[in-house]
Amino acid sequence: MAASVDQNLLDPTHLNRIEDFSLLARVVVDGAMPGIHRSLRQGRGSEFYQYRPYARGEDLKLVDWKVFAKRDELVSKTFQESTNFTVCLVMDVSASMGYVGKRASCSKLRYASMLAACFSYLAHRQGDRLGLFAYSNEVKEWIRPRAGSGQLNRVYSALHGLKPEGENAHDFGWDRMVSGLPGRAMVVFLSDFLEAEDSLAEKLRFSLSSRYESLCLQVLDPDEIDLPEADALRFAELEGDREVSTSPPAIREKYKDDMSGFVKDLDKKLSAVSAELETLTTNQDLGHALRRFLGMRNRK
Amino acid sequence: MIEFAQPAALWTSLAIGLPLLAHMAYRRVTEKFYFPSLRFIRPSQIPRTGKRRPSDIPLLLLRILLFLMIAALLADPYWKSETTPVSEEQREEVFLAIDLSPSMAGWDGLEEAKEKALAIVNQKKGKVGLVTFGHSTLDKVELGQDNLSSKIENLTHDWTRGNAQVMLDRVSNMFSENATSRKLIIISDFQQSDWQTAYSNLEELGISFELVKVGQKGETESRRGNNVSVVEARAVPAGPNKIRIWSVVRNWDDENKTVDVELIAGGEVKASEAVSISPLGSAQVQFVLKEGDFSEAVIRLEQSDEFELDNERTVWLKAPPARRFGFWMPAFENDETDEEKSFLKTAVSSAGDNGWNRWEWDQDKADGLRLGDDQLNMEILMVLGVGKWFEDEQLGEPLKVFLNKGGVVLATPGEPFSSSVSVLKSSDLLEYNFVRVAGGATRTRNPFRIGALPENSELADVFAGKSARDLYLSAIHKFGILKTGAVVENTEVPLRDREGRPLTLVKSFDAGGRFVFLPFRMNTGWTDLPLRNSFLPLLMELTQGSGSTPSSRAWPVLEPGDYLIGDQGRFQAVEPGAFRFEDQWIEVVLSSAESSPKTLSLNEISDSFGGDISAQKAQMQDQLKYEEENNPLWMWFAIAAAILLIIEMIWSRPRLNASPPTNSIHA
Repeated sequence: MAASVDQNLLDPTHLNRIEDFSLLARVVVDGAMPGIHRSLRQGRGSEFYQYRPYARGEDLKLVDWKVFAKRDELVSKTFQESTNFTVCLVMDVSASMGYVGKRASCSKLRYASMLAACFSYLAHRQGDRLGLFAYSNEVKEWIRPRAGSGQLNRVYSALHGLKPEGENAHDFGWDRMVSGLPGRAMVVFLSDFLEAEDSLAEKLRFSLSSRYESLCLQVLDPDEIDLPEADALRFAELEGDREVSTSPPAIREKYKDDMSGFVKDLDKKLSAVSAELETLTTNQDLGHALRRFLGMRNRK
Repeated sequence: MIEFAQPAALWTSLAIGLPLLAHMAYRRVTEKFYFPSLRFIRPSQIPRTGKRRPSDIPLLLLRILLFLMIAALLADPYWKSETTPVSEEQREEVFLAIDLSPSMAGWDGLEEAKEKALAIVNQKKGKVGLVTFGHSTLDKVELGQDNLSSKIENLTHDWTRGNAQVMLDRVSNMFSENATSRKLIIISDFQQSDWQTAYSNLEELGISFELVKVGQKGETESRRGNNVSVVEARAVPAGPNKIRIWSVVRNWDDENKTVDVELIAGGEVKASEAVSISPLGSAQVQFVLKEGDFSEAVIRLEQSDEFELDNERTVWLKAPPARRFGFWMPAFENDETDEEKSFLKTAVSSAGDNGWNRWEWDQDKADGLRLGDDQLNMEILMVLGVGKWFEDEQLGEPLKVFLNKGGVVLATPGEPFSSSVSVLKSSDLLEYNFVRVAGGATRTRNPFRIGALPENSELADVFAGKSARDLYLSAIHKFGILKTGAVVENTEVPLRDREGRPLTLVKSFDAGGRFVFLPFRMNTGWTDLPLRNSFLPLLMELTQGSGSTPSSRAWPVLEPGDYLIGDQGRFQAVEPGAFRFEDQWIEVVLSSAESSPKTLSLNEISDSFGGDISAQKAQMQDQLKYEEENNPLWMWFAIAAAILLIIEMIWSRPRLNASPPTNSIHA
């Protein structure tokens, strides 16, 4: 099955052209990665799923008599069985997430939104409750976890309205988010985690509990890995007033070392609180992130 | 088209190299690159090598343009309008009026005038004409003549005394009627004597004027220095066979001068005398020569000064011509008249001597005058026995013409006395009325005596002491008593009898003429006065007056420009020197006024030309005309430079708080 996956359907360059997150998620999950997720549990859920021919011995409560009256055929209704598991997406929408370099096809926020849409779809397909929390220096979006296709559409709509603005305030956002978490949950963080290595681990200590899983997806632009290609640049901070004029070739190696050290340090600190870190770049396909998501989800 | 008043300032446009170099050598990243985090970005040296092209081309071009604007601004740009060629008739007309009076020959005046005139001719674009003037307008070169420069170069001074008025009176006619502007440029030393009475309202005539003062060498407070002149020279008899040459030398300078005065006769320096002259003073010099050796002499100053023309003077050493007298008498024979004529002829002829003071009986001229030839001249005309014949021949008018020309007439009455008085009265020569002839009845009666002369009278000065006694002893046997009701103007009574009745009437005329009427005849039947010693002095005093002394006798002295009318023609004085004309020996001398170093200031002259500094006005008009033709553009360039500067400042200002672009990378 995996061999038949069309890798182009995971390429953010192509996916960036799809405005509708609902379509985008189905293209990615159903088109590019069929069978990757667990099949839908059918049972006594509250949400109608589909009809199937009545089989002898089945509970007659499941027979849809209106259909029988119209078509003279016995069909049973099947319902989507909901789990008691919550997937909560936490998105950083500060101004730094709006950066898009020459080598990237989309901004970091767009990339994170595409991932979030796919995660949402997967979670919905598995009957999980879904929630979305977006913040910068204030709460931009807070959709409390619920199940159902209506919740999925709300999340899609919310993702569509997100814009990169404001400075990030991780401590503030996470405190608000953690206080609203349900009993069992998987928390997916989508951020660049800049300046967050000290406070993030402290805030994710709840991951030590067996009831929670934390997946931290660090979304970076390729320029943030090894600096943009230019002789000289007058860097200005997207979330501040600082400016630095420098020659990227002159500082590139040192920058890469520092950045690598930062990521390692962040990984180490997150590991200490049982949180997993995955660093993604915006020119990278979405498959890797989806697999990490499903891998962690299926462990529960 | 754009032209520049200070084109040298365009060299400052080379300063455009500064922004060029700055843009090539100094690399500053002006574009901001917005980045998520500067946490690991450190400042570093921005490489400059390998950058050969100037950065920020638009900004560089803007700055180059700004520098070019400033350079053009410094060069004072103006827009020179395409002036349509003005037709010859419409152009400016300029007349140069150059003073050629003798004073211009001094203090380098004429040379300076030529230089300045040539400079003006070369500068002026319109028509330029020339007029020169001394005592009158001398020469005129019409507008636009090609030979103007050569004319100016060949100018020489005139000898006549300067008088600018004639030129000023004629100047308005020199310009053409359709000239757009008329300008008179007067080049002169503005010597005070030549210009102090000059007046013309040139502004009213539509003529602007410019005054160019030249020949001001050594001038302080309107007075030029270093001039000594011979102002007078005269030859007078000095005893037997000797002539004294008497001269006056004047120092016009305000410091003491010592000069050597030379007497040159026969081409040799006969005598020389050093004389010291106080500032602004004069000194006399005398030389004595033997009479007859030379006919003329030159008095000359050995030292040269700023004005050379007045440093010598020629004087005749010959005796002046005899003074002439004649008679008008009735045509018919009359013993009384003949006797009277004889007395007077003898008396006047003996009044002079055979040399420098000579009287000569010239009856031909007297007859010519009687026939109405008013060109003839003589010193004394004696009309004896005025009577009906005088009226018949209508001699009243020619006699008055003679008197009005300065002639002297001695008239005596004829028979009857009343007729003489009425004839003279009808001719307006006498305003007295006849009363009667006193003493006519008998010869045995005591004669009448001359009364005491008034103390302040001219005769009293002459007849004093013993000479007065002789006069008072004179006996007048009979005379006509004349009377008038009121004081008669111009008539005086110098001699009266003891009862106060007039014995002589003297009527004065404007030009110095004197009409002397004696109410008695000059023969022994009427008086013994002709036999007295006092007769001759009395006759001379009555006819010549107090101003006539033998020493004042000299040849006619003329100034250049004057003329003398002779019997056959006219003598025109041109240059100083000694000349012979008919029987006259004439001296022509330079006007002493030309020696004066005083000049008038330009303001004084301007006041005389309309009370306005028209030269400045003309300059202002020139300036206005210049501004009309040349529109200054510096303000536009300044505005453009200011706008470019503002754009440059806005363009290159720091932009710290600009909103971040979504995606931009600039080098």
